[in-house]
Amino acid sequence: MTIHKNKNAKTHDDVLEEIAGAIDIPPSQYEEAVSRYETLGNWLDRDQSTIAQYDPQIAPQGSFLLGTVTRPLGDDEEYDVDLICLLKVAKKDFTPKGLKETIGHEVKLYAKANNMSKRPEEGRRCWTLHYADDAQFHMDVLPCLPDAQAHQLLLERRGHAALAHDQSLSGQAIAITDWTLPQYEQLTEDWPLSNPIGYAAWFRGRMVAQLTEGKKRFAKSQMITASVDDIPDYKVKTPLQRAIQLLKRHRDSTFGDNEHKPISIIITTLSAKAYNEEPTISEALQTILSTMDQFIEYHGEEAWVLNPVNPEENFADKWAEESKKRENFFKWLEQARHDFALYLRTSPFNEMPEVLKEGLGRRTVDRTLDTILAAGAAMITAPAIAKATANDAELERAEAAITNIRESGSQSKPWAK
Amino acid sequence: MHTGRLTIEEIRRAIAFDQPKLNATQDGSDFIVEGQYVLVENTGSVSPAGPLTAFDIRIVTGNRYPVQEPEVFETSGRIPRSPDRHINGDGDCCVTVWEEWLTISGDTTFAAFLNGPLREFFLAQYWFEKTGKWPFGERSHGEKGLVEAFADVLGTQNKKQNVIYYLRILSQDWPKGHWLCPCGSGKLLRYCHKADLMALHSRLSPRMAKRMLKRLKSQQR
Repeated sequence: MTIHKNKNAKTHDDVLEEIAGAIDIPPSQYEEAVSRYETLGNWLDRDQSTIAQYDPQIAPQGSFLLGTVTRPLGDDEEYDVDLICLLKVAKKDFTPKGLKETIGHEVKLYAKANNMSKRPEEGRRCWTLHYADDAQFHMDVLPCLPDAQAHQLLLERRGHAALAHDQSLSGQAIAITDWTLPQYEQLTEDWPLSNPIGYAAWFRGRMVAQLTEGKKRFAKSQMITASVDDIPDYKVKTPLQRAIQLLKRHRDSTFGDNEHKPISIIITTLSAKAYNEEPTISEALQTILSTMDQFIEYHGEEAWVLNPVNPEENFADKWAEESKKRENFFKWLEQARHDFALYLRTSPFNEMPEVLKEGLGRRTVDRTLDTILAAGAAMITAPAIAKATANDAELERAEAAITNIRESGSQSKPWAK
Repeated sequence: MHTGRLTIEEIRRAIAFDQPKLNATQDGSDFIVEGQYVLVENTGSVSPAGPLTAFDIRIVTGNRYPVQEPEVFETSGRIPRSPDRHINGDGDCCVTVWEEWLTISGDTTFAAFLNGPLREFFLAQYWFEKTGKWPFGERSHGEKGLVEAFADVLGTQNKKQNVIYYLRILSQDWPKGHWLCPCGSGKLLRYCHKADLMALHSRLSPRMAKRMLKRLKSQQR
């Protein structure tokens, strides 16, 4: 939740911050979602619950945990809140199907007890809970069990000792179920692995300096004397999170519901790898858009977007089977680079180029610009005075640039052949 | 100096974010970069008011860049065609004395050219439009300007004979101690500025010195 005391934008960053805020999940809906999943957690843990003995835990994962949620493009579409449902059991206690259905049973009871009109839907890996329309979100609940030890052993054996010994990155790996796999109904050691909590820890590490800065500013603006550690992460947004929200939004506008659009985890991972704790959204976007493709690795012909907490996993593994996915990623990157650069490099902050308006969703952009530019527009001075002032301002800016170059000592002099 | 062949990808990477209104194409071993060059006051962050201005330009370069000097044309006629504005009749811009930049700049990539001499040239043009002054100074026309630039690089007197003698020494793989010192003291190099000269020799290759000599010769008319 960001507090805006002054809605009057003065820079490109103010404008981008407002637009990112407008495509973020609103605080009220965020809190609503948290309260709903906590209720679900309490239900699973109630005395009569058939799984209470396994100490069930519900926790957020994905963009909801990373703080990079983006509002769906259409008004009738819903936010997607990703959760894990962890039971403290071992692989020998359940088949994957057994685990999925044991949890599914309780999830269905929960839906019934809460008079939810739609029944929970079973997906390949998740149970999806649909809330009433006014909630505007659904929850994907991922059944899983802890699998850190096996994962760490494997990492160690494959030569990733540093990762294996880092508890925050590999200590919360989980085993998940997948009904398309042949061993789905068998007692097996061979479960798919996932590590959303470790990924989030890595992601947080990529922006921790700006996160701390943001919290300090937040404490100051709220007149809170509490230490930075007491402020929850979701209260502030770093330039990295804002940049990712804008990029995902641009992706959604560019591709609509094209099934081969670049996936969020690829955009998020490459952005976080490229990000260098830039203090502003515009600088973050410049760095990310200029360099994110350099973090794609090539193993022969095959493109790899490495999962930073599981070096065996390629987030771009589908590119090999479906070349459109690969093409679309690079097409999108070129377009995003161009659209954002056109705004950031060639436009004044209060004139957003049409292509970027289109890329970020025209309605959202227009509505946001109306609010934050209205105050400034009301203060327009008489044209003649405005022109003279503008000319002085330009000269001042040019002079500053000249001084900068002179001070760097590397100026070149024009010549004539 | 940056070596290795310039590629269209490197050019595109250099302009992708910084100069979104330029477009790069390839024609055989030539590269043409064309469109609007936006003049920003900072190379990093953005100004709320947008760029200062933009110039319509065409850059013609080749894969032998930076050994080969890129040609820059101002295409809209905004800059009056006059040697005093450092531009020729066909819009060919005398951005800088190329060898001077190659020698003094640690980074001679295409991106560094765009953010260095090219930006300084157009910033200077913009400043001249507004004030009638050159903010970074200017070189004399023709040969005289070359001698000035080379004398600056060598850190020596602005005299042609002197610069030529200096460059001849530097164009040898092993300058000899019994040659006369280029400082004009009349002493042998080994008893005079030998250390300074050898330091310069390691920065300015014999190949570059020969190139500068050749350039001076071709400028004599």
